[in-house]
Amino acid sequence: MAPDSWVRRAVLLSLACILALSTLVGCSAASNGSEEQLHLLIKVPRTGHDVVFDDSITQVDQVIEKMADAFEESYEKVPVDVEVEVFEQNQYDAAIAEAFDTVHSPDIVYGDYFNMSTYIHTGRVVPLDDVITDDIRSDVFDYLWDMSTIDGRVYMMPYLARQNILAYNKELFTQAGLERFIQEGTIQSWTKDEWAEILDTLAEKLPESCYPMMMYAASSQGDTHIMTLLRSSGSRFFDDDGHFALSTPEGIEALRWIQEGVDRGWFPPHSENLEIEDCSSLFRQGQLAIYMVNNASIGRYGDTIGLVNFPGPDEDGCATTFVSGFEVLDNGDPIRVQVAKDFLSFVYGEEDLLDYSAGTLPASIPVSERYGKDIQAFDLFLNNRENVVDFTGSNPDTRAVREIFYTCIHELLLGNLSPEETAARIDALCNQAIDEGEAASTLHE
Amino acid sequence: MNKKRYIPIFGIAIIIMIAAVCIYMNLLSQTVAGNLMSSVDEISRHDVESIEGALDNSYARLESVAKRMAVYDVETIQEAQEQMNLEAASSALFNAIYLLDSEGYLYSSSYVRFDPDEHAYDEMMADGRDHFVMLYDDANGKLETTKESLIYGIRLSNMAIGEHDFVALLGRGDLSLIRDQLLIESFDSQGISSVVNNQGYYIVSASPATDLAGRNNFYDMLRAGTIEGGVTLEDVRRNITEGESFTINCTTADGEHLVLSFAPVEGTTWSFIMAVPVHVFNQRFAPFIVMTTVMLVVVTIALLVMMALIYRFMKRSVLANAEAAARAEFLSNMSHEIRTPLNGIIGINHLMAGSLDNREAMKGYVQKLGKAAQYLLSLVNDILDVSKLRAGKVELAQEPFDLNGVIDNVCEMQREAIRERDIIFEVHTGGVRYPHLVGDEVRLSQILMNILSNAVKFTPEGGIITLNADQRLLSTTHEVHTTISISDTGCGMTKEFQQHIFDVFTQERNSSSDSQKGTGLGMAISNMLATQMGGSLTVESELGKGSCFTLRVKLPLANASSVVPTSESSVGPALEGDTPAALLPDVQGKAAEGDTDKAQASLNEASEGARPSEEAKAQSLHILVAEDNELNSDIISAILSNEGYEVKIAVDGKEAVAAFAASEPGEFMAVLMDAQMPVMDGYEAAKKIRELDREDAKSVRIFACTASTFAEDRQRALENGMDDFLAKPLDVPDMLKKLEAVKRGL
Repeated sequence: MAPDSWVRRAVLLSLACILALSTLVGCSAASNGSEEQLHLLIKVPRTGHDVVFDDSITQVDQVIEKMADAFEESYEKVPVDVEVEVFEQNQYDAAIAEAFDTVHSPDIVYGDYFNMSTYIHTGRVVPLDDVITDDIRSDVFDYLWDMSTIDGRVYMMPYLARQNILAYNKELFTQAGLERFIQEGTIQSWTKDEWAEILDTLAEKLPESCYPMMMYAASSQGDTHIMTLLRSSGSRFFDDDGHFALSTPEGIEALRWIQEGVDRGWFPPHSENLEIEDCSSLFRQGQLAIYMVNNASIGRYGDTIGLVNFPGPDEDGCATTFVSGFEVLDNGDPIRVQVAKDFLSFVYGEEDLLDYSAGTLPASIPVSERYGKDIQAFDLFLNNRENVVDFTGSNPDTRAVREIFYTCIHELLLGNLSPEETAARIDALCNQAIDEGEAASTLHE
Repeated sequence: MNKKRYIPIFGIAIIIMIAAVCIYMNLLSQTVAGNLMSSVDEISRHDVESIEGALDNSYARLESVAKRMAVYDVETIQEAQEQMNLEAASSALFNAIYLLDSEGYLYSSSYVRFDPDEHAYDEMMADGRDHFVMLYDDANGKLETTKESLIYGIRLSNMAIGEHDFVALLGRGDLSLIRDQLLIESFDSQGISSVVNNQGYYIVSASPATDLAGRNNFYDMLRAGTIEGGVTLEDVRRNITEGESFTINCTTADGEHLVLSFAPVEGTTWSFIMAVPVHVFNQRFAPFIVMTTVMLVVVTIALLVMMALIYRFMKRSVLANAEAAARAEFLSNMSHEIRTPLNGIIGINHLMAGSLDNREAMKGYVQKLGKAAQYLLSLVNDILDVSKLRAGKVELAQEPFDLNGVIDNVCEMQREAIRERDIIFEVHTGGVRYPHLVGDEVRLSQILMNILSNAVKFTPEGGIITLNADQRLLSTTHEVHTTISISDTGCGMTKEFQQHIFDVFTQERNSSSDSQKGTGLGMAISNMLATQMGGSLTVESELGKGSCFTLRVKLPLANASSVVPTSESSVGPALEGDTPAALLPDVQGKAAEGDTDKAQASLNEASEGARPSEEAKAQSLHILVAEDNELNSDIISAILSNEGYEVKIAVDGKEAVAAFAASEPGEFMAVLMDAQMPVMDGYEAAKKIRELDREDAKSVRIFACTASTFAEDRQRALENGMDDFLAKPLDVPDMLKKLEAVKRGL
């Protein structure tokens, strides 16, 4: 065989291989012609969660996974793959705002309205009124709809709520001779004088290394509870426009009540350097007499605690509620937005999936009716909802306000600012943040 | 050259080359991997040093706090906690500071007191080290945080407050505060460093959890994937616990292949892990592969080109040598073949000189002399044929002819020989359905004659020779595929000889001396002619049983009306010159076989037939012979004189022209003009004669007599006014026949 024949054969062989490969690639490409799967991303903060009928549930993302799986199986419009991604509680911005316009931008976010309301004003959060049928609307408590409504449009589908009140250590109260304030099976409320008497007594009579009441200002964590304390003298906290309004006699008096409490030994020393978790540890260790709890956390204390509302403008005191639910984000793809809405329609149409909210306060009235008796102190908290006060004021930039507020309290506790100065600073700086937030606010069309 | 012989050698060379490349690639891969692992180790050492430095810094800060605590005027635990609160508040590293007393009570900067049974952080000191660190794990006691944190500790030797003796000062800091210091990316962010404790929890990782509930475990990652090389999870766990440096390869649950390098962090139970995806190694290796591949391709191409050039050179050299050898052999053979009859002629001449008076002996010598001369002539003709065929100077005629006629004539010419040897000759031409073809009838006859005469020559008496002719019309081209096979029951050929049957001067030596009387060129000529016709000549033979030669040619179909009936004169070798053999086909056929006796007989018969009539002898016929060679001129003169012609000799062209010019008009009936002569050659002389202003200058017959028998010589002669061509050596009967024709005015 001549060399040129070998070359010709090699070339022909190569061409044959290329042709074969091309055919294979062509076949492979042709086989990929089926409908592409739509990917839906749900982000969930790591949040403990209990369900009365399912002990295997310890985190709320487990519930969301069940929803995702059920939706994937039943959705027929397009093949859909729902991914549930968990992020840390202090990583809201990294998980949501900083992910905008990237492949990691979520289509649905589950979380606290308190943390997520800021994103509504970015224009990314889609109004959900077209998802809310009459049946869905009537199934959810009205006060929860109110908390997630802006300008008459609903931006979050409430799933559950946690109501925050205060709790006291019965043992420490007993040690301090405050047995008469201990009541079982109720959410108490004390007058301001009673509060002063209790705290003074505790400061005087508690043993060494025990302290009367929580106070902290080292970070923004738990600041809503301090905000709620500022209603102790009758302040409405917000004006009619949702702006801070502490520079009132009631507001200043509440600030003074706190500042004087420092000197009267109501709080741990240098509480401006403490965080809510420090106070939580003190309360858990039996070294703190009064601390905040919610309907989901009271179970860990058993009957060692009594419940009491925050000191409020009236004799019933006040409480706060965190509502958690779903927001849909618009990432520029109408199909994904519609599928995300379909996901919510599906969840709120499935009784079984709504039942998984039965561990705290379900947003669904039917779920509350079915499982209320199994939820610890459910009736107490349900009846106490009349005393719930708003701590957001429709604030368009809650995060900015929070970064200001605790620093003012820090200075108040240190004594660097007077109550008046503190009220003025809070009003000025926090309202400035609110105004800037409103100026930058863009609601989704 | 048998190329198949080189295929195994080439294959082995390729295998060796591939093996060498594989070994080289493997070594290169190992070297690159080794270098990368060295880089990994170096980065690991650097990172470990950074981590150890960060830990030392933390210990130093705790040492400072301890020193300040010693100088504070504190008398109670609560006062000490307040001081720690302030220290923690002013620290960028510690979120909380703890004092551990000798009884196991733990006091925090946030005023929390943990009883000995509520924590196990005192176990950090169990190994006796002064400095210690651990990943916060609420299994050891739930502190004031749920965040991923580190607990640093220093041993206190002399700190007492009230009744409490404190043995250690601890600091708790968010892991995120130092993670950025410890997280180091390498290999273009593809190599990720991490640190795990001996329980597998990450101190540092690329995807850190910030909360205890979200922490990941390295062992879970390994468990979900696979570890290669027979290493088990327990092996990894044990090595980390024992502070070993080691490397493993693993595949994660996501299918990512990783190389993990472990290095212990001094003073801790931690292990630094550098995870480098295997594709990073491949990426680093890729340029070497590309460069090596390119280099190998270039070298291979260069080698192939060199080999091709060498091969070509060698092939040319071999061909040149072969050609030279063939030429030398040809010349040697030719010399031998020519010398053999010459030797005979010289010998006979000597004998004749001594036997002039012995008429009977002289008669025998003359006959032998004729045989030798005739053989010599046929040899020269064949050599000329071979030479011209090799040079590609044979032009085949494209004239209509009748194949049946060709076959009949060829057969007819061998009839006598066949009959003499009692050979059974069978001719089957029923398959010739398209006898009217276009081609070179003479050359085709020459081929068939060669084959058939050989068959006759090698077939013993009583043997059988069979000629089969068959045809097939190719409808698409209107060509006829003709197959003519001639088989015999002769002696046959060996396999070796069959391979050389078509080589020149090839004769198989055997006991039959009769069979060796040919020139050995006939089959070579036949094969070359068949090839030039676009056909083929093949042979099948078995020693002792016979041979079968098959001619296959593809010739155009001719119009029947255009075919001229085949004459005997068309059969025989067809050199452009009218060689004697060409005019004596039966003689040529026999001569080609070496049957010179019969050829001589035929020559004599032909010579008799051409002799001038008595009537012609009575006339005075003048012939002008221009011949510079005296011997030749004497011979011609003698021959012609014997035949009754008057001969005038001119020694060159000029003299010939002068002689003709001086002659009476019509004196010369013909001029025999040698082509190559001194003074004036025959061509010019003929031209001059034709130019003479006399009546017979245009009509006198001028014959070119020359040993140059090529077509161009013949054409040149005609162009210069000559009428006919007589090739040297002269075919005397033919010459006489032509002169007789001139004389008769034909």
